[in-house]
Amino acid sequence: MGTESATEGLSVRTRIRRTVDRSGISAVVDRTVSSPLFWLLPAALFISVFQLYPMVEVFRMSLTDMSLVSSGESYVWLENYRQLLGSDRFRSTLRVTAIYSVASILLQIGLGLGLALAIDYGVRHNLRGPLLTRVTVLSAWIVPGIIIGLVWRIMLLETNVGVVNNTLGQFGFDIVPFLSDAQMAVFSVIVAGAWRGAAFSMIMFYAGLKRVPEQLYRAAKIDGAGPFARFRHVTLPQLKPVMFVVTILVTIYSLNSFDLIFALTNGGPGRATEVIALSMYKTAFNGYQMGMASATAVVLLVVTIGITAVYMWLFDITEEI
Amino acid sequence: MAGATDSTSDGRRSGLTWARIRRYGYDTLTYLVYALAIAFFMFPVLWIVSLSLRNEGAVYTSLQIIPNNVSLDSYREVFDSGILRWMRNTLVVAVASVAGIILVTTPAAYGFSRFEFRGRRTLLLAILGFQMISPIVIVLPLYDIMRTLGLTESHMGLVLLYIGLQIPFSLWLLKGYFDTIPTALDKAARIDGCNRLQTLRYVLLRPVMPGIAVVAIFNFVLTWSEFVMAYTMLSPGGEDLYTLSMGIYVFDNQLATQWTNIAAAAVIGIVPIIIFFVALQRYFVRGLTDGAVKG
Repeated sequence: MGTESATEGLSVRTRIRRTVDRSGISAVVDRTVSSPLFWLLPAALFISVFQLYPMVEVFRMSLTDMSLVSSGESYVWLENYRQLLGSDRFRSTLRVTAIYSVASILLQIGLGLGLALAIDYGVRHNLRGPLLTRVTVLSAWIVPGIIIGLVWRIMLLETNVGVVNNTLGQFGFDIVPFLSDAQMAVFSVIVAGAWRGAAFSMIMFYAGLKRVPEQLYRAAKIDGAGPFARFRHVTLPQLKPVMFVVTILVTIYSLNSFDLIFALTNGGPGRATEVIALSMYKTAFNGYQMGMASATAVVLLVVTIGITAVYMWLFDITEEI
Repeated sequence: MAGATDSTSDGRRSGLTWARIRRYGYDTLTYLVYALAIAFFMFPVLWIVSLSLRNEGAVYTSLQIIPNNVSLDSYREVFDSGILRWMRNTLVVAVASVAGIILVTTPAAYGFSRFEFRGRRTLLLAILGFQMISPIVIVLPLYDIMRTLGLTESHMGLVLLYIGLQIPFSLWLLKGYFDTIPTALDKAARIDGCNRLQTLRYVLLRPVMPGIAVVAIFNFVLTWSEFVMAYTMLSPGGEDLYTLSMGIYVFDNQLATQWTNIAAAAVIGIVPIIIFFVALQRYFVRGLTDGAVKG
């Protein structure tokens, strides 16, 4: 009874509004907002100007001898790529990027998974500390990359100001050349990168772990599975989609690392920690060779897309999307 | 009969103790992980704070976290050097960017969630593709475009750029939130005589608000910390235009070895954003996990 009168009232109101609203302007408004174009246009505009066009433009620029300082450019086609792939500097850059990325991916995913398991275990068993741990690790991730690089540079200084060397010195060790030795510098950059990046893997794995239903663990327990068997046959398979996303994103972040390394070593000593993104930036803004730098950027893009494609094939994720 | 029950209960009791020992082992291991993690991830921040509070002469006693004579001299000097101005610039840019991102992304997310049109799926995947590409790859053409448009050396230009770069991620996240709102609400509003604009404004905005909050918080932190674009676009414009992270970077290069001052600048760059984050980390974590793992 009550509901009927309510719908009656509604339809009357609708009818009134319809008759009132059929005047010109609101009809135009009505028609405009019924088209998806109206809703998507501003976003489409921004994406076109700041993403789509630059993407096309970077390919075009890589085929020219464009310079940062002088106007006028001519097409040199693949000359930039030929020079780039033939140069020792670029080969060393590729090697450094590969070492840095592989180490970062393994370290960050390992650290992240370990922390996530510890936090998930603590939450499920009501231990104290999971929240504090989570917030602390995430805070490291929130700090601007440029400041992380700066802080680690001061920590790793090779004088007594550097807290790491100072502490090692008190235990009778010699000064460790964290930033002035080529191999140590790569190691330092990887560790500082993991300090920043582990939080991302951690929080993603933790979200994945939270989604594993308690019944699955209980069922496995009843079937006689020990903790390791449970991890291997319950946890890991359930984490597969998250593992896929994390691996791809951490790989993309590592390959494109810039600000932390820019502040920590600026690619030094020599070119020992010069990753692709850094090399590109210096070629453009210190060497003024925009064309050559664009070719470097294109190589970075192609490498990123190529590796993502390989992951898609490796994880065989198609049925899960 | 009685003996049988006895033996099972006995067996269970011994199993229980064995399980309990193992449980203690795992608990201890977990606490150890917590302690190590907190030490490792908190130490650099604690130590830089400690360094910033020392006299110039006390920088060598490194491991002593609480200095003997706490001194605020370095903060005084850093504040005199214009860091407040950089902070205000950063705040203005971040707030304007967040507002712009929400203004542009909310309608688009609504559009993708509520319309069926040809190419919708392809467009969404293309946008996801843009999210996968690091902005560093397109920084050079972006610089060229910004220069052509006369948008370098301007906060307005940087804001527009941030909006353009952050749309893909924000769009996907918000679309996910719109998708969780039943379309029955839209229909009811339609019957009530609302057009789509009014539907969004009066009916859908409230339930989608948590999603908008997540997008806002996430983008605020991102734009606050951003370096490469700010450094590239604003560098030629002089110190007055700097954002916090680029200001601190340039400052660090100028000061060479005045460690306490550099540390104070770093602390000013770190502490506000950490406080902001700790207060709102719940939303933040939700945004991160919702945005990235949507089956």
